[in-house]
Amino acid sequence: MASVTLEGVTKSFAGLTVVQSVDLAIAEGEFMVLVGPSGCGKSTTLRMIAGLEETSGGTIRIGARDVTQLEPRERNIAMVFQNYALYPHKSVRENLAFGLKMRGTGKAEIEQRVARAAAMLKIEPLLARKPRQLSGGQMQRVALGRALVREPDVFLFDEPLSNLDAKMRVHMRDEIARLHREVGTAMIYVTHDQVEAMTLGDRICVMKDGVVQQVGRPLDVYDRPANTFVAGFIGSPEMNFADGEIASEDGRPVFRSGPLALPLDGARQGAALEPGQPVTLGIRPEHLTVAATGLPARVLHVERMGAESVLQLDAGVGLRALVDRDDGVEEGDTIHLAAPANRLHLFGRDGLALGGAGR
Amino acid sequence: MRSRYDWVIWTFFWGGLALTALFVGGPVLNAIWLSLHQASSFIAEPKFVGLGNYARVVQEPEFWSAMANGLIYALSAIVLQVVIGIAFAMVLNQPFFGQRLVRGLATLPYLLPTVVVALTFQWLADGSVGLLTVIARDLGLGTIPWFEQPATARASVILASVWLWTPFVTICVLAGLQSIPPALYEAAKVDGAGPVSIFFHVTLPQLKPVLTVVVLLRAIWMFNKFDVIWLLTKGGPLGATEHLPILAYKRAFSLFDVGGGAAVATVSFLILMAAVSTYLWMFPLEEKR
Repeated sequence: MASVTLEGVTKSFAGLTVVQSVDLAIAEGEFMVLVGPSGCGKSTTLRMIAGLEETSGGTIRIGARDVTQLEPRERNIAMVFQNYALYPHKSVRENLAFGLKMRGTGKAEIEQRVARAAAMLKIEPLLARKPRQLSGGQMQRVALGRALVREPDVFLFDEPLSNLDAKMRVHMRDEIARLHREVGTAMIYVTHDQVEAMTLGDRICVMKDGVVQQVGRPLDVYDRPANTFVAGFIGSPEMNFADGEIASEDGRPVFRSGPLALPLDGARQGAALEPGQPVTLGIRPEHLTVAATGLPARVLHVERMGAESVLQLDAGVGLRALVDRDDGVEEGDTIHLAAPANRLHLFGRDGLALGGAGR
Repeated sequence: MRSRYDWVIWTFFWGGLALTALFVGGPVLNAIWLSLHQASSFIAEPKFVGLGNYARVVQEPEFWSAMANGLIYALSAIVLQVVIGIAFAMVLNQPFFGQRLVRGLATLPYLLPTVVVALTFQWLADGSVGLLTVIARDLGLGTIPWFEQPATARASVILASVWLWTPFVTICVLAGLQSIPPALYEAAKVDGAGPVSIFFHVTLPQLKPVLTVVVLLRAIWMFNKFDVIWLLTKGGPLGATEHLPILAYKRAFSLFDVGGGAAVATVSFLILMAAVSTYLWMFPLEEKR
């Protein structure tokens, strides 16, 4: 077991910087999720930790060891790949044993460790099969097993669930969480799926364009996004944004955007607001509620998802609200919205959260 | 499922079958028929002799030395072509400056007509002015009798064949290498495998379907190869490079022992068929990995 430390880790390809000076510390036993849209540099960062990509700058440490220049096999890491990358010509048992065999582990110990991993993942009946005889979920279990038997310093996951169907994905997500609880080794997990990030991570690291946007506990990032990108990326449906400015009504701060006016009394970032200051207001769809009075909005469309419905609204600006399906709202209705001030997010025109949230 | 294009499929199927029967099946049957008859020329009236021709040819030492020569030639050429072909393919699969050009150049020998290659080789190996001869002499190796002594003639014929047909192996293996998912190499690296282990545990097993076909095709072609040997040595010196196809040709067209030649060719055909069947039983062609 060990911690992982990245200091100023940078990657450039042919003059293009894809990962820019990443500083990140993953504690011993921590589950860190790197999350962001495709092309944000999260996979490249993971591959640099694995040693599959060379760094263009910076230092990577596993425990106290500087591994920046080491080959993957010298780093004592194990990795689970998106396409499983099982050796097709080897049986499941041989797939699990290969890493240990390459390290010269004794036969008896290999057998014991393979048996233990197979039991943990409930893949004992599959040991004699070839990968092509397995389903996607089974292959992913074997890939997990192959990492598990190695008992590495750190586990790396590169979008391991993205090839599975929705149901299996949820199932394997629980499985990975369980494994982490049982083995207690640091895990670094790359995904573009914010639900995976939120549910799995002890902490998440949101990346965009090769730059770390915010690192924090999932709910902290959800509650206090550092900038409009993080605010929009984490949470589903996406946060509503409206550009406007701060006005003062009867000496109290109000957000104004065209016909839209929202009092900011009690807003978390209410302090230090100056009238005339241009801001971007953010509010999550799940924090807008249908009320007897308040902001009037016309219902353009209702997406019924089952337990909840997403309302597409016109309130002078376009908004989305996530409401209980029993609210009985129909297309064409005019409703009133309440937006609790303590759920409002305010961002400067540079996109950064006012009052210095997060980071 | 029936479609209105069924007739196209069946036309191609029956057409192909008819052409194969006519131009492959026909001559094979004709050769077998000839091998059961005695005829001193192609126009003489053949006389049925049963298995007499077979009994006759297998009693001759030429037959057995031709068989041995053929096996030595085919096996050495195949092994060298496959080993060198894989090595070339692996080099050409690495990214380097001018890779496309070199890939193109590497396939060149395979595109040349055998006659051109054979004549070029004879020039290169000319006893007094050939480039190879001169280089060997300047290196202090003396004058090498490229085609004049049994051992060197065998080696020269194998060398020429390897030079000519290694590109075929290289092309096939290169295509095979490019279809290996990079993640397998990465998984092996993370698992602690070095370059040698990666070759034996990832590359080679992944190439198996390609190599199965390549070895099979090379074996069939090398065992039946006639042109390059005939052009270089005509089976000489002292029959050192005479294998079954050349023996069959000489019998039928130089000695006008048409029945004997056909018997040699038929035996050669049966041996090859047995070998190929055994091979396919040992290494069944996989439809899917």
